[in-house]
Amino acid sequence: MKERLLEKDNVKALCMSASEQWETYLPLKSIGGDTHFIKLDGKDRELLADKLNLEYESLVVPPKFILFPQLESLFKFEGEKIIETVKPAAKKLLFGLRACDVKGLKFIDDFFKRNFEDIYYLSRSADKLLVIVGCKSPAENCFCTSAKTGPFLENGFDLQLVDIGERFVVEIGSERGKEFVDTYQQFFAEASKNDLERSKSEKHSVEQKVSLSLDFEKAIERFCEDKVPEQMYERIAERCIYCGGCLYVCPTCTCFNVFDERRENSGRRYRNWDACVFEGYTREASGHNPRLEKWIRTSRRYEHKLKYDYLTTGMSGCVGCGRCLSSCPVNIGISQVIEEVTKQ
Amino acid sequence: MRNEYLPHPAIIESIQRESFDTKTFKLVFKDKALAESFNYKPGQFVQVSLLGVGESPISITSSPSDKGFLELTIRAVGKLTRAIHQLKQGDKIYIRGPYGNSFPVDEVAGKDLYFIAGGIGLPPLRSVIKSVFVRRGDFGKIKILYGAKTPNELCFKEELKVWKQIDNIEVLLTVDEPDDRWQENVGVVTTLWGKTDMVSPNGVAYICGPPIMIKFVIEKLLTSGFRDEDIYITLERYMKCGIGKCGHCNIAGMFVCIDGPVFTYSQLKKFPDKEKAMA
Repeated sequence: MKERLLEKDNVKALCMSASEQWETYLPLKSIGGDTHFIKLDGKDRELLADKLNLEYESLVVPPKFILFPQLESLFKFEGEKIIETVKPAAKKLLFGLRACDVKGLKFIDDFFKRNFEDIYYLSRSADKLLVIVGCKSPAENCFCTSAKTGPFLENGFDLQLVDIGERFVVEIGSERGKEFVDTYQQFFAEASKNDLERSKSEKHSVEQKVSLSLDFEKAIERFCEDKVPEQMYERIAERCIYCGGCLYVCPTCTCFNVFDERRENSGRRYRNWDACVFEGYTREASGHNPRLEKWIRTSRRYEHKLKYDYLTTGMSGCVGCGRCLSSCPVNIGISQVIEEVTKQ
Repeated sequence: MRNEYLPHPAIIESIQRESFDTKTFKLVFKDKALAESFNYKPGQFVQVSLLGVGESPISITSSPSDKGFLELTIRAVGKLTRAIHQLKQGDKIYIRGPYGNSFPVDEVAGKDLYFIAGGIGLPPLRSVIKSVFVRRGDFGKIKILYGAKTPNELCFKEELKVWKQIDNIEVLLTVDEPDDRWQENVGVVTTLWGKTDMVSPNGVAYICGPPIMIKFVIEKLLTSGFRDEDIYITLERYMKCGIGKCGHCNIAGMFVCIDGPVFTYSQLKKFPDKEKAMA
C-alpha cells in the first residue's frame, strides 16, 4: 500500500486525537529518565503527551505488560459465589513500538491462542493496532539484525514509521493500518519519491548501526542438535543469582504463577509473572523437585528460547532485544550464550 | 470464548479414608447439567481448588463408566490438600477440567494388561482398571502389581480384596515394611517379577509411581520383552493452569498437562536425562 508522510510536529496531535477513540499507549519519558509505555489517559493527557519520546533506545520493560500484566485477577469470589472479572477490552493503539517488540507480541499472541485459548490475554489483545517507529540509534546489546527481527519489518505491523529527519515515512502494513490513516487523514500527506528514497537509505543506515552481530542461525542449529556442552550451563550457574529479572523483561516470556487471596469471606484468584529459573518453579507439594540443580534450570532457560520454541513454532523465543543482558546484575545475556555456542 | 480458568462447585457426597494421610472424595457437581455432561477418559486429571486457598492438579480415580459422580484420591501433602482433608461431607470443592491425555483402552483390546503402581500411584490407574473390568472379555490377561511402603499406605484396601476374587485377574501386593499381619510379598514392586509370569508377547503396561520406581519397573519390563511403545507412564509435575499456559510442567519441548500426563516409554526415553522423567 502506498506510503504516507507524517510531520513530526503532528505526532502529538495525532495521538491526542486518536486517544479519543483508542486506548492509546505511548513511549513516554518518566521522571527517572527511562522511557515506558504509558496509557494516554486522564485530564492531564496533554501534559503526558508532551513526554513522548520516540527516540528511546530500548524500553526497560517490553510492551507485553499491556496485554499480559505482571499481576492480574482471574476472578473474585464472595462467599461461595465466583464473579468473573474479564472485561470487554477497548481497542488499543500501541504507537511507537520497536520492530523486535512487535515480533515479541506476535510470539505471545500465538502462544496464548495455541491449544486452549487464554481469555484474559486474548480479550486484551484482540483489537489492537501496532505502530512501529523504527529504531534510530540501536542500544549496544541489541542484535535484531542477527535475529532477523528488526530494526524494520517487512510485515506483521499495521503501520511502520521511518524517521527521515523532520518527518516520518509511514508504511501501511494492513487494512486496519490503512483505515487508521484514512480516519486521521488530516495528519498525513503524500510521500514523494524523494521521501521514499530517504526512507530506504535511512533504514539501511540504522541497520549498519546495530553493532552486535551474531551467528544466530548457527546457534539455533547447535541447540536443536544438542551440541551445547553442559559445562557452559554450569559456568553460567556459578555466576547467575537466579533473580529472574531477565525473564520478567523478556518480550516472549509468559510463565505465570497462580495464587489465592482471601479476606474474611471474599477474595480473588490472581496470576502473576513467574520465572523458570526459580527453585520453586518446579517444586512439588511433597518437596520433590526435578529441577533442583541450578545448571538444569539455566539450561531450561536457554533451551526453551533457542531450541524448543524454534522446534514448536518455527520462531525462536529470542527476538534479539538485548534486555536480558541490559537488566542483568551479574552480566549474563543470551547474546553471550549465542556467541559461546557458535564459536566452536 | 470459554473461560477455562473458572472452576465449578461440586459437593462432597462421601469421604473414604484410604490411609493415615490419604482420602478418597466422591464429588457431584452442583450444576445438574454439568454433573450429567461431565465426560473424561482414564488418565485425565482435574484442577481442584478451594477458594482462597489454592488450586492443584489431581488425577481422576473414578472411571468414565461411573456416571454422575467423580472420585479423587488425595494425599495431604501441601497447603491445599491438607485443607481439603479438613472438609466434611456436604462441603464444597471447586473443579475444572478434565485435562490432559489418557491411557489407551479401546486401542489395547485383545492384549494382556499389566498395571504397576506404587503408593499413591494406584488412584490414576484405578480409572483404567475399572474401565477394563466392565468389559473384561475384550482383553487377555490382567495383572495388577501394587506396592507401598507399609500396609497402611495401600489405597483401596477393600476394593483390592474384591479384585482378588475376580476370576482371571491377578493382584499382587507388596510392601517395604510389613506389619505382623502382612501375608503377602515384602520388597519393592519389582520383586514381584519372581512371583508371577511377566512375559507376554502382546503385553501392555501401565505405570504410575515415584520416579525411582518408574525407572526400575521400566528396566524390568524391557527385560520381560515389552516394547517401548507398549509401556505407558503417567507423570507428575508441579502445575498451575492445566492448559499449557503457566509453563511450570514443561518437560523438554512438551507440557505434562496437555501433551501428557500419559507418555509412552518411546517418548520418555527421548527426554534428556536432566529432565528427570525417571528418577
